[in-house]
Amino acid sequence: MGTTASQLAKDSLSEYQELTFLTKQEILLAHRRFTELLDRDERNHPNPRVPMEVILTLPELKSNPFKTRICQVFSTSEDKDGSLTFEDFLDLLSAFSDSATLEIKSHYAFRIFDFDDDGTLDCGDLEKLVNCLTGETEDTRLSSEEMRQLISNILDESDIDKDGTVNLSEFQHVISRSPDFVSSFKIVL
Amino acid sequence: MFSPTNFRQVQQMQAPAQFSGGSWKQKKTIFVRKFKSNVREFLYFFSLWGKTLQKIGGNFGGGVQSYFIFLRFLVVLNFVSFLLIAGFVLIPSIVFRSVDIKPEITADVLCFLCADCLKYDPNPQGLVVFYEFFLDLLSGTGFMEYSYMFYGYYNNTVVVTSLVGSDFSYNIPLAYLLTAVFYFAFCLICIIARDVRSYSMIVFTGWDYGCLGSKATKLKQRNIYYRLQVDLEEERLKKHAASLTLCNKVTLYSLLCVKLAPCACFLGLFYTYLPSIVITTGNFLVPLLCDQIALLEKYPPSATVVVALLRAVVLRLVSLGILLYTLWNQIVCHGSTDTCPCHYNHSNYQCWETSVGQEMYKLTLFDLLVSIALLVLVEFPRRMVVDHWSCNLTQWVGRQEFVVPSNVLGLVYGQTVVWTGALFCPLLPLINTVKFVILFYCKKITLFYNCRPALRTFRSTTSAFFFLAVLLFGWILYFNVASLRIIDSASPNRIHPSFACGPFRSFLRMWKIVPDSLAILPKGTRDFLFFIGSQAFSVPLFAVSCVFMCYFIALASIYGKSVAMLRAQLKLVCVFFFLIITVK
Repeated sequence: MGTTASQLAKDSLSEYQELTFLTKQEILLAHRRFTELLDRDERNHPNPRVPMEVILTLPELKSNPFKTRICQVFSTSEDKDGSLTFEDFLDLLSAFSDSATLEIKSHYAFRIFDFDDDGTLDCGDLEKLVNCLTGETEDTRLSSEEMRQLISNILDESDIDKDGTVNLSEFQHVISRSPDFVSSFKIVL
Repeated sequence: MFSPTNFRQVQQMQAPAQFSGGSWKQKKTIFVRKFKSNVREFLYFFSLWGKTLQKIGGNFGGGVQSYFIFLRFLVVLNFVSFLLIAGFVLIPSIVFRSVDIKPEITADVLCFLCADCLKYDPNPQGLVVFYEFFLDLLSGTGFMEYSYMFYGYYNNTVVVTSLVGSDFSYNIPLAYLLTAVFYFAFCLICIIARDVRSYSMIVFTGWDYGCLGSKATKLKQRNIYYRLQVDLEEERLKKHAASLTLCNKVTLYSLLCVKLAPCACFLGLFYTYLPSIVITTGNFLVPLLCDQIALLEKYPPSATVVVALLRAVVLRLVSLGILLYTLWNQIVCHGSTDTCPCHYNHSNYQCWETSVGQEMYKLTLFDLLVSIALLVLVEFPRRMVVDHWSCNLTQWVGRQEFVVPSNVLGLVYGQTVVWTGALFCPLLPLINTVKFVILFYCKKITLFYNCRPALRTFRSTTSAFFFLAVLLFGWILYFNVASLRIIDSASPNRIHPSFACGPFRSFLRMWKIVPDSLAILPKGTRDFLFFIGSQAFSVPLFAVSCVFMCYFIALASIYGKSVAMLRAQLKLVCVFFFLIITVK
């Protein structure tokens, strides 16, 4: 069950601690920040759902180029509109926390980069990914020639079965060679 | 109850469930990982000028940033080298001098008649006028000549007896030589060792999710953009270079030589007078001339830049080589042994190593002074004129653009000078560290105040790979000078180390200290070392290495073949399953 009023029940707290990678303080802080995002009348709702635009006002997510994808990946709403309940929010923080394993992080990173949600990273996904990384402004966009060269290099390096897309195992193989990934894939409130 | 939807979703994607309970093994992995990341963060704290480099990269592009990264690398290299020299040569010398251990005056058996070879009188006469003090500071003469700065001050003390009751021995000449050798080997390793970057790593792991604020985000985005651009350009350049046909290559090289010949003759005349000032001026003017000539030729754009760069590199290093050759000619005797009992020109150069060291010191110092003078007298006024006085001429000239290749050449030239001079001026790496630090801040100031922001058109050859390759070329030049000519020269024109000064005064050649020291070692160790160096050991070792190499090459080719086979199988299996599913 979700939160009751504006206080977190003790058994919920210990349950959340058991089921996520967050510590007690982190869960309490998350609860406080989440409650601040709610309207007065929503706070009495048993399981409030916050729309994506409100979530994106959080300073930790506001300037992140992947903010929309992050909300969409962790959202459990039927219409995939990126709205989050408190438990979705905890899911998000848990995946981005300090103690989450490489497996969890690489799994969620893959889902975030998979813009069309088809389970693999194809050329369209990679192009959108690179555009997010370099910014959408005119002077920081790679030319189509450079983009093509870059995508073919990426596929050369990471596509082991040569099917033209990067699947989850190939992605995790690349991630495992990077020493910085775990420390950079971190959002702390 | 925790909502089951999350778990269902998780099971669908076959992700491992998120729970923190976990086994002890998992906890241990997490702890190890946290510890490693803490250590890395701690070390990152010591990385010099990190924030400045990010700011430069974001505002001026990857090319300019790579220049500053290269400069930082050289600062660290020089500082570590200085620590090496200080630890093994400088501090023991200071200690022995303070303990007042007298230098050995053993005359070489070939020169037992020439007392004036042993004469060395560098001390100034009494008080010096202030301007003379200043001149001495700039040219390394006077009070600076007989100091820890130059080779001449170090003694050939060999301490073998117990000083404080314990068994302590220290051989200053051996330490001097071996430190020099290790310093250069260390530099070579630093140049060659390079971490490999990969595109997929940059793209998949490049973003820092903890980055807050739109300004920091934009900076990071621009950094990634420029980084990708630099790597892509470098790859295109390599592909282009590889695709040049043999005919094109021959044409390029011959044109290069033809252009260089008159330049070299012209400069050769000047090098007998005022070497340091003229070299610096020549280095400044001739690349400009070459740039103008390059405009007339019709190469493809990237080739033009490469050719211009190669030309400038060779020119600068050739000018240094000519200087060294001139010095060599002045020091060596050109007559028979009768007119020249000391085997070097002792009338002009009582301590020739110190003179060489002084020349290198002067070059380094003038290089720095010219850079600062250019900054103050040319770049700032140019910006002021362009900003406050708008007419056609100033608009055409425009604001300064930070030209990376020629700046990098300046660094490589400075470093090569230091390598050539480090054997004769042990404190030169320290001076060079200070010089490069000052240069970093000066260049940073001029970049932010005087230069245009990054242009759309991106210039190639700004890659670290290219800089390091050019630096390696400079290293090879030094290696030829130092090792073949001085330390162990076998030619009849060789120069004897100075009799009157320095740690090698009693040796025929500098390298001779090593076999002599080996002779002191106990018989067992000596036999072992000679055995390792002898043919009876090295030939079988070489044969065994060849066998291992063949084995590993065969293994690699077998693995390559099996990988290709497995890939084909994987494709086949995927197609097979796809067919089965569609049929069902």
